[in-house]
Amino acid sequence: MNQGIERYLAPQSLDQALFALQELGEVTLLAGGTDLMPQAKAGRAKFKRTLMNLRGIPELKGVSREGNTLRLGALATITELLHDPLVGEHLPVLREACDHFASDQIRNAATLGGNINNASPAGDTLVPLLVLDAEVELASRPDEAIYRRRMPLSEFFVGPGKTRRAPAELLSAVLVPCPAPGHVARFYKFGARPALDISTISIGLAGVRKNGHLENVRVAFGAVAATPLRALATEEALEGRQLDAQTIARVAATARQEVQPIDDLRASAWYRQELVHNMLTRMLEHVAQN
Amino acid sequence: MAVLEKSRKVVAESLIGQRIPKMDAPEKASGKTRYIHDLDLSGQLHARILRSARIHARIKSIDTRAAKALPGVHVVLTAADLPDQRPIGVAKDHFPLKGEVVRSQRDEIAAVAAESVEIAEAALKLIRVEYEDLPVVADARAAIAPGAPLIHPPRQGAPAGAAVAYTGRPDNVAMRFDYSHGDVIQAEADSDVVIEDSFKLHYVTHCCMGVSGVIAEFDASGYLTLYSNTQVPFLHKREFAEYLNMDPARIRIIQPPIGGGFGSKLDVYPFEVICVFLARAAQRPVKLVFTREEEFLASPTRQPVLLTLRSGCKKDGTLTFRTVHTLHDNGAYTSWGATTPFVMMQTFSSLYRVPHCDYHTTAVYTNNPYAGSFRGYGNLQATFAIEQHMDMLADAIGMDPLAFRLKNAQESGEVTGQGMVFKSCGFKDCLTTAATRSDYVVKRAAYRARQKDAGAVKRGIGMASMLHVGGGAKIYPSDGCGTMLKMDDFGALTLITGASEIGQGSETVLAQLVCEELGLPISAVTVVNNDTDITPWDVGVHASRTTFIAGNSAIGAAKKAKAKILAAAARKYECAEETLDLKGGFIVRKESDEALIELAKFIRGLHFSDKAELVMTTFYYEPPSVHQDKGFKGDVSATYAWATQVVEVEVDTATGIVSMTHVTGAHDVGRVLNRLGLEGQIEGGVIMGQGYALTENLMVEDGRIRNPNFRDYKLVTAPEIPAMDVSFIESMDGEGPQGAKGVGEAPAICIAAATANAIENATGVRLFELPFTPEKVYRALHGQTEKLYWAPWKPE
Amino acid sequence: MSLKTEIEFTLNGVKRRATVPVEMSTLDLLRDVVGLTGTKYGCGEGECGACTIEVDGLTVNSCLMFAVDCAGRSVNTIESLAGEPLGERLRAAFVEQGAVQCGFCTPGMMMQAAHVLSACGAQDDKAIARGIEGNLCRCTGYKKIVEAIAVAGKATGA
Repeated sequence: MNQGIERYLAPQSLDQALFALQELGEVTLLAGGTDLMPQAKAGRAKFKRTLMNLRGIPELKGVSREGNTLRLGALATITELLHDPLVGEHLPVLREACDHFASDQIRNAATLGGNINNASPAGDTLVPLLVLDAEVELASRPDEAIYRRRMPLSEFFVGPGKTRRAPAELLSAVLVPCPAPGHVARFYKFGARPALDISTISIGLAGVRKNGHLENVRVAFGAVAATPLRALATEEALEGRQLDAQTIARVAATARQEVQPIDDLRASAWYRQELVHNMLTRMLEHVAQN
Repeated sequence: MAVLEKSRKVVAESLIGQRIPKMDAPEKASGKTRYIHDLDLSGQLHARILRSARIHARIKSIDTRAAKALPGVHVVLTAADLPDQRPIGVAKDHFPLKGEVVRSQRDEIAAVAAESVEIAEAALKLIRVEYEDLPVVADARAAIAPGAPLIHPPRQGAPAGAAVAYTGRPDNVAMRFDYSHGDVIQAEADSDVVIEDSFKLHYVTHCCMGVSGVIAEFDASGYLTLYSNTQVPFLHKREFAEYLNMDPARIRIIQPPIGGGFGSKLDVYPFEVICVFLARAAQRPVKLVFTREEEFLASPTRQPVLLTLRSGCKKDGTLTFRTVHTLHDNGAYTSWGATTPFVMMQTFSSLYRVPHCDYHTTAVYTNNPYAGSFRGYGNLQATFAIEQHMDMLADAIGMDPLAFRLKNAQESGEVTGQGMVFKSCGFKDCLTTAATRSDYVVKRAAYRARQKDAGAVKRGIGMASMLHVGGGAKIYPSDGCGTMLKMDDFGALTLITGASEIGQGSETVLAQLVCEELGLPISAVTVVNNDTDITPWDVGVHASRTTFIAGNSAIGAAKKAKAKILAAAARKYECAEETLDLKGGFIVRKESDEALIELAKFIRGLHFSDKAELVMTTFYYEPPSVHQDKGFKGDVSATYAWATQVVEVEVDTATGIVSMTHVTGAHDVGRVLNRLGLEGQIEGGVIMGQGYALTENLMVEDGRIRNPNFRDYKLVTAPEIPAMDVSFIESMDGEGPQGAKGVGEAPAICIAAATANAIENATGVRLFELPFTPEKVYRALHGQTEKLYWAPWKPE
Repeated sequence: MSLKTEIEFTLNGVKRRATVPVEMSTLDLLRDVVGLTGTKYGCGEGECGACTIEVDGLTVNSCLMFAVDCAGRSVNTIESLAGEPLGERLRAAFVEQGAVQCGFCTPGMMMQAAHVLSACGAQDDKAIARGIEGNLCRCTGYKKIVEAIAVAGKATGA
């Protein structure tokens, strides 16, 4: 029945897409559709007057290296990331998260940009990207030229389904610095299954290993707050400290305090805190031993 | 296959015990099978149902004017349009469309038939309903508390003996079951050890991959054809006739291939009757298919149960008594779930030799979803309690739990306190086979010794056994099934059976049994099993009865056909019938297997003669079982199936995640008929049991289902399945078809109980409440669960 | 009425056009517009895999894919497996290994199986099980499905 869509656009270039966005304002963006379709059917998402299919935009595709930065196109699917040699070489922690992402059929359709823009607190790629210091690139065309701004991913999320992307902007790419030598990163997603599960909690951990401790530590959690988030107090408790049992215990305790999850049908807040504590402990022990 | 050598000797292998592919699998694996969702009749309208927005409320008004005015809408119905509605269901306690009061989330208020699903859905959104909320009873214990709000309050003026829908109930009690044998009070006094625990069994639902659907069509003379997913076409014909005020002879039920049954289609549900109302009003065929969300909201559930079990034994390991009190949450209406005590009490009274047993169930109305029948039919719940107590009693007297079970296990020849007669019983073989193949005794001791070792991941092993009807169940005055068999002049058989096919492979097993009698290859058979205008009577696919009952019926028809053929052949070859046989598609001399004539050629000869004789036979099989007496005693099944399953788990104590790594099963199946199909039934049942134990949980809060989707109602997925080792114990039942027993329900029954025992073995912590989801296990490991205790409610 | 748009795409090797509401799913396009009913509705949310099809060489849940997104692409359904060597091997293996009971998940399962084998070649049981993790089956307990896929994979010699 009438969902209120008055126009369907399938732009073939970024320029076309941005021009239309600037002109029309009220646009529902379609990439893989794996979130949009069920949300629309269930009435959780309302279509705007224009439906814009982004699939035909070549500028949003692919993974490339630009100097010391990996550029992940917003239309890169989870499967493409899973098998991409650059991602495999430089960002194994992102690859790991992609492996735990939904099912093969969904990985084949779902895009990185979609996962980020959907801004679910449990979004599977978000936590690893946070610990990799990823930035989002937002493109717009306020006049004749295409304008691109960058924003750290950690600042991008406002709440569930809400981001700092302006209506006339497109998320064009995710930029990830190539990690330095000695960089270690881990990802953990809670679940009794390898995949096809919504995170009850997820944990990202990264740092550069030096003489038995980690520097430039990044810790992030998913599904413990309204947005995926960096855990600054936990990072501080770990930064530069000898990775021994005492440190691990203190870091895990800090993390349990720092997260403020909610009770929902998937888990209680208490249990999420326990998982954060126990699994961060396990990850740190794993880092210490390897 | 038959090989004709120079000697004219026919060589053909028996079909029994072979791996025979399911006959309809090639169609299904091509995407060509037309399920009800794939059928469309010309002129067909599409229906949708408006369900209650409230859990318990009085309906003040329903305004359908805007819906009726929507272009494309043909019919909008509410209870007000149907003054002649009759109550439906096992206790006749509700109407298809609710007009006065809604009592649960699924309650049907209005229905629309329109030219498309989209229009029908849009019309539903235009229906305005005003409610006046009533207090919600969301817990079975609250329902029987003094002063509880009544779900079906008594009504004035109804004639005595009328259905609950007309009379109401003075309390929330829907049904009671009280059974006993022996003297439990004396037996308890004589016991060395007595234990008592409460167990809580949760809501799960069938999750058939094909959602529910029905198509109703009236012809010009008012004759109704229903395309239905039902598992009991003949009984439903009668029920529909009653609900529709029709002559049953004018109702035809056609069963298209079904996307899973598992017991979910044993009752007539409101949507089916409503679809017929719409078709009658529209004078057009009407199709009604659920969405997946609706399937979760408006399908039956497995019966949730609160259960308190008190058990005792002597120091030497002899069981002394059992006392059981259960509280069944029926939900808003009574469906088959309320009657699961029929099966539960068998397990309590007769799985082991228990000289004294008391069993009491109170089934109560609440505002929850209503519970129906589901593969295992109460036995998963009963076995969960009993088999944990078997471990606990064994531990209490310091006896190995396998030895304890063997000491009390039933044997052939036993007549139980409930009057069940175990003519063939492979229980002890099941126990020893499963224990040996899993190395149960050694592993249990080793894992127990390692409970306190360092390392978060613990291993455990647990055992459970089950008893279930394996030769039908005489729930109705008859438990029979009819067969018609027709052989054409090319030696091809048409097997027309009353038995329904729900994916379990009945058509293949029946064809096999008939071919075995008639010496024909499976490829010679066409099975017709889905049309009440054609097929002979049967009481439906339930109680693991089809292989046994329909199998014996098919064999009976085949034997008659064989006798007819051999009699004619004996005349032709001027010899005694007893010297002839059918083998490999030939009539042969029994002694030498020498071929006399190709069977097809012989049948052609029979047809094309001036004394033409057709090979068409019928047979009706009624098992030698009896209806239970008023005290629930009697030998209700012609035979009984047994099984032992051993489960191994890994418990991650840092997360509470329980991984099922191995399942070793030994099943007394009587005899293996189709090894491929049998393995499929067992493996599928084991994984359904795994889901019941670990992952599946229909979350019902204040009467509302919180997770009506596969995202949060977690079926087991392929990477989670354990390694499975299944052995078959062939006890060669004397009454069974070729010695076989029914086993369809058996494999799902033990898994949760064995898993509970395995978790205890791994961690030292025993769990009394299902499912063993990570958080629940984690809480238990950290002492965060309150001891579950349900004090049985005793009638004054 | 909903906004409709015309698309041209290749379905099971044959180019065709269809006019579809822009919010329609590919599953509805296949079942209700084209009339190919081998692809099944199981949940409509991408959680069960019964509607699995192949688009440009990759499997997707057709219930999650917008029909308009088929434009210019090559779509294959269960009906495309008939006559294909891999499809026939899979069908034979599913039948002979007992991987089919009620059969409702089977078309989606076979499409995913074909993808697992053609994309990754013969695999061990564990990899196959991961490959079909997005396909639910309520009847078989998966074991025979995994075995059937393994048998079909060996037969390819891949």
